[in-house]
Amino acid sequence: MDWAAVIALGVAVVVFALLRGGSFLSAANAVNILRSMSITTIFAIAATITMAPDGFDMSACTLATVSSFLFASLFLWFGLPLWMSVVLTVVLTIVLYLLTMFLILVCRVPDMLATCALMFVHQGLGLWWTGGGAVSAGMPTAWGTAPLRTGWTEGALAIGAAPWCILIMLACVAFAFIFLQYTRHGRCLYAMGSNRTAAAYSGIPVKKYRFLAGMLTAAILAVGAIVVCSRNSAAQISGCDSYLMPSLAAVFVGRSVGGAEKPNALGTLVGAALVAVLENGLTQMGVVYYVLPAVKGGVLVLALVAAYGPRRRSAHVIS
Amino acid sequence: MDALTLQAKDISVEFPGVKALDGVDFQLLPGEIHALVGANGAGKSTLMKVLAGTNPDYSGQVLLDGRPVELRSPGAAQQMGIHIVCQEVDQALAPALSAAENMLLDELGRKGRLWINWRKVYWRAEELKGQLHMDFDVRTPVSRLTLAQKQMVLIARALHSNCRILLLDEPTAPLSTVETEMLFGLCRSLVRDRGMTIVFISHRLPEVLEICERYTVLRNGRLAASGPITPQTTADELVAHMLGGEMSAVCRTPGAPPVGGEMLSVHGLSSRDNSVRNVSLTVHRGEIVGLAGLVGAGKSELCKTLFGILPRSAGEILLEGSPAPLRSPAEAVALGMGLVPEERWKEGLFLKESLSFNLGIAGLKRWSNLSFLSQKGLDQNARTQMEALEIKTPSPQQRVGLLSGGNQQKAVVGKWLAADCRLYLFDEPTKGVDVGAKAELFQVIAGLAQAGCGVLYASADAGELLKVANRIYVLYGGCVAAELDAAHTSEEEIMYYAVGGKSPFLPTEQREGEVRT
Repeated sequence: MDWAAVIALGVAVVVFALLRGGSFLSAANAVNILRSMSITTIFAIAATITMAPDGFDMSACTLATVSSFLFASLFLWFGLPLWMSVVLTVVLTIVLYLLTMFLILVCRVPDMLATCALMFVHQGLGLWWTGGGAVSAGMPTAWGTAPLRTGWTEGALAIGAAPWCILIMLACVAFAFIFLQYTRHGRCLYAMGSNRTAAAYSGIPVKKYRFLAGMLTAAILAVGAIVVCSRNSAAQISGCDSYLMPSLAAVFVGRSVGGAEKPNALGTLVGAALVAVLENGLTQMGVVYYVLPAVKGGVLVLALVAAYGPRRRSAHVIS
Repeated sequence: MDALTLQAKDISVEFPGVKALDGVDFQLLPGEIHALVGANGAGKSTLMKVLAGTNPDYSGQVLLDGRPVELRSPGAAQQMGIHIVCQEVDQALAPALSAAENMLLDELGRKGRLWINWRKVYWRAEELKGQLHMDFDVRTPVSRLTLAQKQMVLIARALHSNCRILLLDEPTAPLSTVETEMLFGLCRSLVRDRGMTIVFISHRLPEVLEICERYTVLRNGRLAASGPITPQTTADELVAHMLGGEMSAVCRTPGAPPVGGEMLSVHGLSSRDNSVRNVSLTVHRGEIVGLAGLVGAGKSELCKTLFGILPRSAGEILLEGSPAPLRSPAEAVALGMGLVPEERWKEGLFLKESLSFNLGIAGLKRWSNLSFLSQKGLDQNARTQMEALEIKTPSPQQRVGLLSGGNQQKAVVGKWLAADCRLYLFDEPTKGVDVGAKAELFQVIAGLAQAGCGVLYASADAGELLKVANRIYVLYGGCVAAELDAAHTSEEEIMYYAVGGKSPFLPTEQREGEVRT
């Protein structure tokens, strides 16, 4: 069913509204939900762009943790202005992503295996940079000197707070949507996802496009990492790692939206919204926190079953 | 009249947007070899899938020995003794398992079975091997068998579970002449010794007339004709039924001299894997150059080397006089080359995408502005190509996977028409394409030549090359064995060089004359 995920989202909203009334269906709570889904959505958009040409990245969020260390240290330890810290973080994350691309494109290791191994490399690399700890305000640098900036500025903290993190999320979704749906490059990426050999034989430079997808993914991961860092007002150990699975879930739930049958930005947004609404609503319903993942997962499974279950087996070809 | 073994009445199957079968009646007599023929998209395979139980969404009734049966799953069909050997044999085989395991796969996977008695498995496999006169070790993994041997394994599987009706979906398409003869011998003995009924699908009508006793012709999902095959039955008669009123245009006669200068000139080209060795050839503007040779002679490999897919180790390629690097397909396309590859599903099409997507993919730059795509432009292009190539489907949004083989092939060709290529490489473009679509394809190719493009056309079918090409290069073992003028050669001469003939070819009469003197 092409609209299963959208219907599930609608049903969830209606049910929670009926059961909880005003406390769920208020503007304040809507902002709450949007804020809580913003980070997952940003990481999920990164995954969407990687998966459009049939790529995969298990190490996305461990790399994001490294980026968040970089951002916090650039801003606090080196006292760089906010804009420069942001730009440098994005650039450095892209540079780090070259290693992923080297393994996949030059060494020809399958995406899944290469990025599985890189998860550990990233974890070690990040902690080596910070000297084995988190980076937060007031703490000394890895080499023992006092940091040039003693605390977070208001501007730096605003990135992870209500209006800005939501706007950043929406900008990422809009960019990915337009890029994948309406540009020649997006069409080439989808062609690779549909049939890589045929794409190559149609004259699409497949390695160049896989590289392009990787670079965009890295840039968006860096953005996500900065939002996480700002929200926690610190770059924590494994701070971004736990976003990997929810973001992949959002992409998978969103794949079928509108009959697209490929990773697409709007579907990903719907998937992430479904997760966030469930979390918010179930918490309000008083479901205890340790049972919540099971209930949330169950609803996601139902949405996936509705999306993929009733479909006819593979396209029938007549000859 | 004999009692009918199987009678299918009023069978209909509908796919989204397409009526694949529309009220078809189909009868099988006991112990006959029955031909099922029809153009691509006529519904042959769909009917086979219904009988084999792999297409449960059919309406109508099937009677087996006069009793109604429900063929809603492959298991149900097999229980009735109906087995299929499908067109793509690899789909039905487990490549890592041995031939013996694959023969007995149905039984090994049965419910309630815990232990495997290997001695019994191999004993039974040897027995089946003897019955089918197979000459390979049953312990060989299936991945190492030839296509013909894989077919045998599937037939053995059917035989093992008491098959009464065997459905063979285009079994001879990938086989050599010798292998085909062996398969026919086997079919005859299965019918004679075991009273089996065999349904045989093929595009090669001489084969059909040779081996089958009765025929059923489908056209556009409907029954067009059926009857016995007598010595008086001709291929023309069947073709007339297949095409109905719409008789296809006759092919272009070759011989029009090349009009322009050199489009492509290749000197001493070798591929790194040595499948192409020291090949030199030229293609002029407005010329159709044939590449002849047996399967494995290096035709596909030559096309792929020219297109930058296979790396080359030596040689020079000039496109309209200027050296072309051609290190990747992307470079080849940028220089105005287009390849219609042999395996269109794997290498040519985006099956899950729309016709509009497929037809526009090689020329996206033409429909994009500052890298933004114009969907309108793409749809317009799709409609233009659909009209030019007579792709029969209602809308450019149609999924390519739902089109018939002939229409799919046209979509691959259309992709390059839209990209405005100057040099076209065709690799076995008529494989699995019916008579009508074939004639249309030839016309399109002739039109390309008339428009001043260069065409390189690879085919194992010498007769086809004589029809389309101006000049023919014959490949043997990766090398050019001969260059022939299509107007002054024969299938016989092409075959002579294709099988490795070295001395200059002499027609049969002359050779005999020489011996006498």
